[in-house]
Amino acid sequence: MKALRVLCAGCSSRRGGCVGAMDELTREFLIESQEGLDRMERCLTDLEERPRDAGLIGDIFRSVHTIKGTTGFLGFKRLEKLAHAGENLLGLLREGKLTADRPLITGLLQLLDGLRSILKTIEAEAAEGAGDDAALIDRLEELYVPAKEKAKQPAHAKAGARPASAAPIEPVKPKPVPAEPSSVPPLAQPEGPVADAAPAPHEAEGDAARSRTQGSAAESTLRVDVTLLNRMMNLVGELVLTRNQVLQATSADPSMTMLSRRLDMVTADLRESVMKARMQPVSNIFSKMPRIVRDLSQSLGRRVRLQVEGQETELDKSLLEAIKDPLTHAVRNSLDHGIEPPDVREAAGKNPEGTLKLRAAQEGSHVIIEISDDGAGIAVEKIRQKAIERGLINADRAAHLAERELLQLIFLPGFSTASAVTNVSGRGVGMDVVRTNVEKIGGKVEIDSRAGKGTTLRLRIPLTLAIIPALIVRSLNQSFALPQGALSELVHIPPEQAAAAIEWIEKAPLYRLRGKLLPLVFLDRLLMPGGEHKIAAERDNFIAVLDADGRRFGLVVDGLADPEEIVVKPLSTVLKGIGLYSGATVLGNADLALILDPGSIAMKAGVTLQDEESARAAEEETGAEAVKSLEYLLVEAGGRQAAVLLSDVLRIEQLPLSRIEYIGYRPVLNFEGQLLPVEDSGGVLTAAQGNPNAQIIVVVCREGNRQVGIAVSHVLDVAGGGDLFEAGSAQRTGGVTLLKNRVTGVVDLCGVATLPAAQAAQPEWSQVGEAAL
Amino acid sequence: MSTATIPLQRKEKTAATLLETCTVRVGSTTFGMPITYILEIVGAARPQPVPLAPVFVGGLVHYRGDVLTTVSLRQLLGLPPKEGRQDLLVLESAGGIFGLLVDSVGEVLTVSSADHEPNPSILDERRRALLAGAYKLKDSLLVMLAPEQLDPMRLSAALA
Repeated sequence: MKALRVLCAGCSSRRGGCVGAMDELTREFLIESQEGLDRMERCLTDLEERPRDAGLIGDIFRSVHTIKGTTGFLGFKRLEKLAHAGENLLGLLREGKLTADRPLITGLLQLLDGLRSILKTIEAEAAEGAGDDAALIDRLEELYVPAKEKAKQPAHAKAGARPASAAPIEPVKPKPVPAEPSSVPPLAQPEGPVADAAPAPHEAEGDAARSRTQGSAAESTLRVDVTLLNRMMNLVGELVLTRNQVLQATSADPSMTMLSRRLDMVTADLRESVMKARMQPVSNIFSKMPRIVRDLSQSLGRRVRLQVEGQETELDKSLLEAIKDPLTHAVRNSLDHGIEPPDVREAAGKNPEGTLKLRAAQEGSHVIIEISDDGAGIAVEKIRQKAIERGLINADRAAHLAERELLQLIFLPGFSTASAVTNVSGRGVGMDVVRTNVEKIGGKVEIDSRAGKGTTLRLRIPLTLAIIPALIVRSLNQSFALPQGALSELVHIPPEQAAAAIEWIEKAPLYRLRGKLLPLVFLDRLLMPGGEHKIAAERDNFIAVLDADGRRFGLVVDGLADPEEIVVKPLSTVLKGIGLYSGATVLGNADLALILDPGSIAMKAGVTLQDEESARAAEEETGAEAVKSLEYLLVEAGGRQAAVLLSDVLRIEQLPLSRIEYIGYRPVLNFEGQLLPVEDSGGVLTAAQGNPNAQIIVVVCREGNRQVGIAVSHVLDVAGGGDLFEAGSAQRTGGVTLLKNRVTGVVDLCGVATLPAAQAAQPEWSQVGEAAL
Repeated sequence: MSTATIPLQRKEKTAATLLETCTVRVGSTTFGMPITYILEIVGAARPQPVPLAPVFVGGLVHYRGDVLTTVSLRQLLGLPPKEGRQDLLVLESAGGIFGLLVDSVGEVLTVSSADHEPNPSILDERRRALLAGAYKLKDSLLVMLAPEQLDPMRLSAALA
């Protein structure tokens, strides 16, 4: 056993169909061969970069040789024959009689594909199938025949100028043309553009992987079936729950407390170890990319350098499988739509060779995967036009959308800005598939693009699939879990307001959410049709505003409990058939809760496409309205109320007074190495002075290119205010607005900067900063 | 328990095979379930109801890290639902494991095939499908359940 690898979901599912039909030996052979071929693929793309690397050639040779050796033993004649042809070729390469040039590598990649497809057939049918590889074998022979002939030629040819390096290449190109059988794709001729895959960071990883697969590490690893790991995970979950109960039961007994605390620690450790066992480095999928980039850049006539970063970042195996397709889609998109052909790039003053960067990094409980290119970027105007053209959005609405919102449109089904549909992309199925797949596993997709500079696609993937954040809601006296991903906001309607707040059109309940009608679904009525339900005015109503696949509606529940990170357990087929539940979970208090599926609820409740359309309009229009009528954060400082423009507010910090430092008389906040001037016109800081335990609240705002803080005693509310002061002056200085029927002063952020003291203090700060360094 | 009588019976009736069954009570009837099908018996289970589930589903229970669908024998037989605690048999079938909710679990009896009678013809069709005859005990009948018929998958197929 060579690789440190846990038997993957992919392998096991691929093998799923043939369990029982295949003996252990064959199965073992398939897994090992697949690993060998994966390694070979990595090495081949590396080899293109470093054609003389004997270590790489040796690795490739070993992969093919192992397959050949074992197939002979297992009696797979077809596979043996093909591997044999490949081995001959690689043998010559190893002896230095051939050079790893482009046609040769292309040939070897075809060999790889050939071997793979036979292995696949064996997997599916337990037999290698009746395919004919004669054409491919001929092709491979053509690649090494010239070398042999050369070797037979008189010594003077050999003695001269290293025949092995240059000579064999020449005859190859013209030869295949007439004899070519149609079943084999023609060898890619070395065209002008050269794809440089696998740059330095990737090489380093490759080396590491190689050394890992060799030597003593091999003996200390073993294969484990994923189903066994899943079972262990379940049992650990069970242990955690039992532990919780033990902890509760023993809290009174001091002698047991020690023991149960120990149990607690061991359980936590065990849980972590089992989780770790399921993790795999993203290099498992990143390593497939050099080949894709190589093939695509050749067929598209691009020159692309692939940079890979953070390959060691680990992700749950099942998630890794799930993002493979989206990632491939994204890479294809970047090559086809993003990076321009070399001549276009040169004309634009860019390096003719484009750069495609894959980066993975862990951020808290998420793994971020970035696919960025330095290509043409996305022309926002083009999106606007295309969206209108395809009827995805009407012209009026399109005119109001901001750049960021326009970028989001490319995730709509049926969208493509490519002027021509190529076989690589442009059929408009790319980006929405990326988003759907990533959202299916609880992830998010963000896009950032600058025309002419490039595009970055960011996938945020949760660390483990099994755990999702959810809000626990109550209805019918039981708990349900509502995935946070679909939840956009919560509205509470107390009983006395219910009659007025919930309006009806015939039997359809509606709620006016910021002026727009939101269809409501009562969870209890949905789940228990015909039951007796309390009317809205007799109980608390909580509206969870949900956005499920574009369908927007409010789900009315009786109560809210805490948000929880829940472990998703699958339901039996019988219960899956109901359609409203996507799983079940065990809550912290050991109760079970069904996980609601917002999409199915919308469907079941009949939130129709028309509603969806109007909901989308509502969403967009409220966005536009929010810009028109400004929203303010209402704060209180020193007994007076003041307003801060909500769009300027970055965050609100509560911190001890001791965090505030002074430069001269100016209060500043040292925030992660950045100095933030704090405005204290309300005298909050002065009032709190002398009280060592005082907590103060600082509203951090954006002002131009810098940030300023405003010290306040309370944050009161968010409210919309009219443009009362706009007629007087375009300047916001001394602005007032009518908030909650009170004339409220708007904090003048520009004013903070124009204060004479602040101006004078500016150079002073930078000096202090330097001194501190 | 009749473990002491096993060797005795074997001597007397060598042709008859013996079957160990677990007795459960639902309503006023005593049912038997061959113990080979039972993975575990969980006392006082508190199943979580599943709204809109087929009528025979007794709810969900948490079992060894998995969420188990249970079949309520009471609801299956058309009896009124029972308040309070119920016992749970965890059964294994071809489609996976599932739970069977009963009023209470009794004891393990060894019965002899010599005492077995097939389902009487007067039994209604639905029950006949769920039952596998009865064993004549000294003073009562032990009605056998057909475990493979109780699988929720099969039950929902039968309903449809």
